[in-house]
Amino acid sequence: MTMPRTSDALIAELVDGLEPVRPLRFGEGLLLALGAAAVSAVVVLGIYGLRYDLAAGLVDPMHLVATGLYLGLALAATVTVVVMGRPQVGSDHTGWRWAAAMAGLLPLAGVIVAAARGTSVFSPGSMTMGQECLEVGIGSSLLVFGMLVLWLRRGAPTAPGRAGLVAGIAAGAFGTFTFSLHCPANDIVHIGIWHSAVVLAMGLVGRAVVPHLVKW
Amino acid sequence: MRADENNLARLMRLSQQGDKQAYATLLESCQRWLRAYYSRRIAPSSLDDLVQETLIALHTKRASWDATRPFLPWLAAIARYRWVDHLRRLYRADEHELHEELIGTDDEPAVAARISLDRLLGLLPPAQGRAIALVKIEGLSIAEASEMTGQSESLVKVNIHRGLKKLAAMIEKE
Repeated sequence: MTMPRTSDALIAELVDGLEPVRPLRFGEGLLLALGAAAVSAVVVLGIYGLRYDLAAGLVDPMHLVATGLYLGLALAATVTVVVMGRPQVGSDHTGWRWAAAMAGLLPLAGVIVAAARGTSVFSPGSMTMGQECLEVGIGSSLLVFGMLVLWLRRGAPTAPGRAGLVAGIAAGAFGTFTFSLHCPANDIVHIGIWHSAVVLAMGLVGRAVVPHLVKW
Repeated sequence: MRADENNLARLMRLSQQGDKQAYATLLESCQRWLRAYYSRRIAPSSLDDLVQETLIALHTKRASWDATRPFLPWLAAIARYRWVDHLRRLYRADEHELHEELIGTDDEPAVAARISLDRLLGLLPPAQGRAIALVKIEGLSIAEASEMTGQSESLVKVNIHRGLKKLAAMIEKE
């Protein structure tokens, strides 16, 4: 829109072009992200199948704790992104950090355990399996990522860089959670390093890409 | 019409439904509010442009206000975002020659103190806040600000650069 000479002329132009709009509701944004996560999970599990123990009605404690932490991070970060789409002075956008700090224990524990065992995180066997988790985890996060970017584009994020980072983390955490339902590994080294790498990678992508997509 | 929270929220609800008369009244009120809000924070020559930019932002992003939430903190968030963006553009363009004369009165609408731009500036380290205030708001040159603060010219520039980065980062936190 070209800038008219006076504010009165601008106001007349804006009023003339007024159309009804549907306000962005918190629940709508949340449903959008959760719906995308559910679709991603159905597709990924349809292609790769459910873990053998889950399919048999069994659970592994390590797997349970890790996937729970990723899911918690995904939900907390998603809520933050949805809130960030609707500007408001005084809004608190820091809640996701606590979930991230807790999930951050996984890669930390992975590195410590790997060092204590004296094994390389980057052995050929570990790399092959890890790369699959990284690639499919990132693929599983793209739909959620797209929905969150769409939400931010419709909204008015006043901290686009931070919104992008948190959107990437939310999508990555959903992606790694989804693929964790297939990945048979229960080893903290694999989970801590490779599953967390999905979250980290998507966070970096979000931080780099999203500000350009949501600038207003 | 008084630009109080209840009136503005009611007008915005009607505007979101497409009521042009309510929207015209709302934009007039917002324009006055924005003029008062910005008047002591930018050079007078930039005031019209910034108010108009913010009105356009209000228009394009009007769906981002939810009727279950207060209106003025929403408007203030948009105004602050445009203000910092404006300062950053000034910094990038290296436009140091702003008018010294300031207009406006201290009649900022009675919104909560936390949405004040002064409060935001006050959260910066004093040297950074002072450098921004002198050069970007009061319109002094780098040399004049350097002389007034006792900081070297390069330090004034560094303080402006760092201060604006911090302002952008904390724009939603306070």
